[in-house]
Amino acid sequence: MSTAPTEAPLSPNVTDASLYLDGIPYDRFAEMRATPGLVWHDYHDGGFWAVTRHADVRTMSRDAEVFSSAVGHTNLWDLEADALEARRSLIDTDSPDHTRLRRLVARAFTPKNIRRWEDTVRVITAELLDEFVEKGQGDFVAEVAAPLPIRVILTMLGVPVEDAGYLVELSNFLVEGTGETQSIPPDAFGNTTELRLLPFNSPASHALFEYGEKMGEMRRNDPQDDLVTSLVQAEAEDGDRLSGSEYRNLFHLLVFAGNETTRTALSHGAMALADHPDQWQRVLDDPSLIESATEEVLRWSSPVMHMRRTTTKEVELAGTTLGAGEKVVMWYSSANRDDAVFDDPFAFDVGRQDNAHFSFGGGGPHLCLGAYLARLEIIVLLEEMAKRKLHLTRLGEPVRAPSNFVHGVLSVDMAVEARA
Amino acid sequence: MMVRIQVNQESCIGSGQCEMLEEETFVLDDDTGISQVVGTGLLPADRAEKVIDMCPGRAISLTET
Repeated sequence: MSTAPTEAPLSPNVTDASLYLDGIPYDRFAEMRATPGLVWHDYHDGGFWAVTRHADVRTMSRDAEVFSSAVGHTNLWDLEADALEARRSLIDTDSPDHTRLRRLVARAFTPKNIRRWEDTVRVITAELLDEFVEKGQGDFVAEVAAPLPIRVILTMLGVPVEDAGYLVELSNFLVEGTGETQSIPPDAFGNTTELRLLPFNSPASHALFEYGEKMGEMRRNDPQDDLVTSLVQAEAEDGDRLSGSEYRNLFHLLVFAGNETTRTALSHGAMALADHPDQWQRVLDDPSLIESATEEVLRWSSPVMHMRRTTTKEVELAGTTLGAGEKVVMWYSSANRDDAVFDDPFAFDVGRQDNAHFSFGGGGPHLCLGAYLARLEIIVLLEEMAKRKLHLTRLGEPVRAPSNFVHGVLSVDMAVEARA
Repeated sequence: MMVRIQVNQESCIGSGQCEMLEEETFVLDDDTGISQVVGTGLLPADRAEKVIDMCPGRAISLTET
């Protein structure tokens, strides 16, 4: 069903995970954006159409009927039917399943309800920053960017904070699963499930499923005012609303997406502020810029670099005719540097207006559930840094995740100083 | 120019974007989490366009009059 392109492919390569050890291959994306139509990209189990321009990502994101999330997979490689079923979460569904699942969790994440967490986020952020300042230097990821979002999402879920370290560790292994190699054996964490049936093909997913089950069991017996309780109640009230598999995958998604992606945004944000001291000075001089600075950090960081869809019927996009059942991949990392939309896209500008970045997706039903939580965490971090007049200095290059999916930073050493 | 908008309850995913943008026109129902139009449902055309565009579920539209 996959139609080969008529002209010779440009053979771009933006999927080799090792490329990302040096950062996003922006030059390759620029070349693809400048190429008329969509660019065909080879891939192990059959190629895909790369969608790299902002306008095309937008069009695709908003047409979920033609560009399905439920068929094939939302990652680059296809999954067998049983694997797709076992791993299916909010991410891999179309309406009406998507609408039903999304509504179960949507309320906790509306802009209005997320504001209730501001004090919690502020207390956690202040504590982490004060500890970091006291040390004077260290790995910004380990000191601030990783613990901040995980503590927040675990508080919302109702997970004990002492388990945060374990869940961060699991999450790191999951990111690895998007690359070519796993540093842990298939039977790690007592896993006996075939890896292809686990999200990210990772035994760490087994551990996260197991943890989620245990949490769910605790809340079934002893309900609390938290997200896990509301999920298990949705499961109990009416089995049609949330199956056991859906619960596991939703818990997995909330833990993974709730920490990995925001950690990435915070890490790149900190690096950008250290690398562009003039921009940080602008924020210090005028804290009303924190809102636009937050959007710029989001654009700059592209935490999730792509999502894949599969066509349900023949459709034309950017002048290229796609058949039914074809893989189409939206590269948010490319759209976020598209000069058709962003003036001087490679400038980090904390005052950037009308910043229509796609770090939460290109619109449509799969818009990032945690968008306003992520924004809140970045805003509060910037506010607390500004309040303390903190200045960050890079002590070296970051260690990046070998992943074409998450723009992850594993560690980055920085010095921090409070200048009155 | 004022226009009247409506919410398609089937496709609303409860994201709350509309409630944030136009708090006097939309409110998420306490029980269902689904957006409801409160009051007249009238908005200036440019603001209506924005809230329609921002809705992830493509659930908001102009009423046919």
